[in-house]
Amino acid sequence: MSLIAPSNKRGGGKGGAQRKETNKIYANPLPLLFITPQTSHYSPYHVLGLFGLSNSRVENPHCEGSFDPVTRSVWVEDRKDAMILWRRGFFGKGDLSRSEPSWYTRQVNARKAAGKHLTAEEVRERRRAERKQFKLDRARALAQAAAEAEAAFEEGRQAPVIAIPSGATWKPQSQAPTAEVTASEVTPEDETDIQEEQPLEDVEHLQLTLPEAFFLIWTMDCLTVLDHATSESMDLKKIWTTFRAAYHPPGIPSSLSSSYLDRFDNPFLVHYAAYHYYRSHGWVVKGGIKFCVDYLLYKRGPVFQHAEFAVVILPTYEDPKDEEDSPFNLNASPYSWTWLSTINRVNTQVQKTLILTYVTIPAKSRVSTDMLSSPASLAQYSVRDVVLRRFVPARMRD
Amino acid sequence: MEDHPSYPKLSELISKYPRTAGSLFQTYNDLALAQQWEDLEVLDLPSCSRGSFRGRRPKTNDLLYVVPCSLSESLSISWFHQAFEDLGKPPHVYLAINSDDSNIVYYKLSPGIVKPPI
Repeated sequence: MSLIAPSNKRGGGKGGAQRKETNKIYANPLPLLFITPQTSHYSPYHVLGLFGLSNSRVENPHCEGSFDPVTRSVWVEDRKDAMILWRRGFFGKGDLSRSEPSWYTRQVNARKAAGKHLTAEEVRERRRAERKQFKLDRARALAQAAAEAEAAFEEGRQAPVIAIPSGATWKPQSQAPTAEVTASEVTPEDETDIQEEQPLEDVEHLQLTLPEAFFLIWTMDCLTVLDHATSESMDLKKIWTTFRAAYHPPGIPSSLSSSYLDRFDNPFLVHYAAYHYYRSHGWVVKGGIKFCVDYLLYKRGPVFQHAEFAVVILPTYEDPKDEEDSPFNLNASPYSWTWLSTINRVNTQVQKTLILTYVTIPAKSRVSTDMLSSPASLAQYSVRDVVLRRFVPARMRD
Repeated sequence: MEDHPSYPKLSELISKYPRTAGSLFQTYNDLALAQQWEDLEVLDLPSCSRGSFRGRRPKTNDLLYVVPCSLSESLSISWFHQAFEDLGKPPHVYLAINSDDSNIVYYKLSPGIVKPPI
């Protein structure tokens, strides 16, 4: 069945109704809800409100996840909790999906072979198929133009002008008739297939990175993390130690492990300092591996607009001597221009602005390592950002 | 993780190579469940201390090889050469780079210079 079927408006349209719906679904920026009971203008609560005292209460969803040391993440397996964490703040990612856990829906859609509500992955497949078709058309037109020019040169006349399709104006050819034919051929077979296939079990979970999970636990206390071995919930002290230990080099003896816990340059601490910094400024922070960066900053969330900023974390040691005996491969040495140019070029092509985030790692000489027994030590890290844009005169006229 | 349906197939390599167990598990789930690869087999790659995969994309006939790794690892050209040799010198190999948030980025590696397809 051709993927380049005429697009169904409901699937990916950004019309007014779709936007209203996303605004409603993603109305809460954080998992905590502030419920203000409706009061009349004359009630005493309203008067108190004028003095700054409110009677709104905080509703905490109390989500639960379990720590997985092998993938170094927290898994949220409960469907409801996963949806709450995704819809209120875009925390986590479905491990079999692009963003929100949609694997089960995609499987059901595929079996029915008649997806009415397209998931993000299906929209992506359609877009990729269209782009591939465009590239084929363009290559064919270029080859044809070259052949015509050769022939014209042989005969000594002007070559005819051939239109080369451009990305902005190319439209997919209507393939509706073939799509319908193949769909009707496929359905009778599909019905027998469904009866033979096993019942579908949803094996997807929402995966939270350790900085995301720690943010939910420490700032809002809306996530409980269970220990993977004992299935008991971990208290903050245990979480603080376990999350840092997850980044230790693998296969070291436990005596060495406890000495590593006294280090300020643990990658968890550096990453968390930057994550907390941007989250507390209201940005939605997601992973940036697709664009060779550490984090992507979204103004409201991935469903609204593409990320405008790409963050690269550059750890800097306050005391260079601390770097010499570091077991973590932080890569804090001077960066090369080729590295910076590559990342900047990648992000310019996708219209993102690069932010270099310098996280200063406190010196052991100045700050006692006893501070590391509590998350309050994060206050010792300073975060500064530098915005970098590549100036392309041909493309930047605004 | 032990309760996950993919665990039995991977348990041997997860115990043998604990450092690369996370990326192996995530890549396997992505290929088998999300991308729905067919005839997916798990291979042992001792020279690179990890498992690797061989399978077909849905509705195609070419056998493709995938080697998982993690974003925090440092790799080298000799490492790639070794992987190519051990997998039987296929025309190209996909490197699956895993990150903690379960994002996987696939890089297609070929020995030598390759012209872009279109």
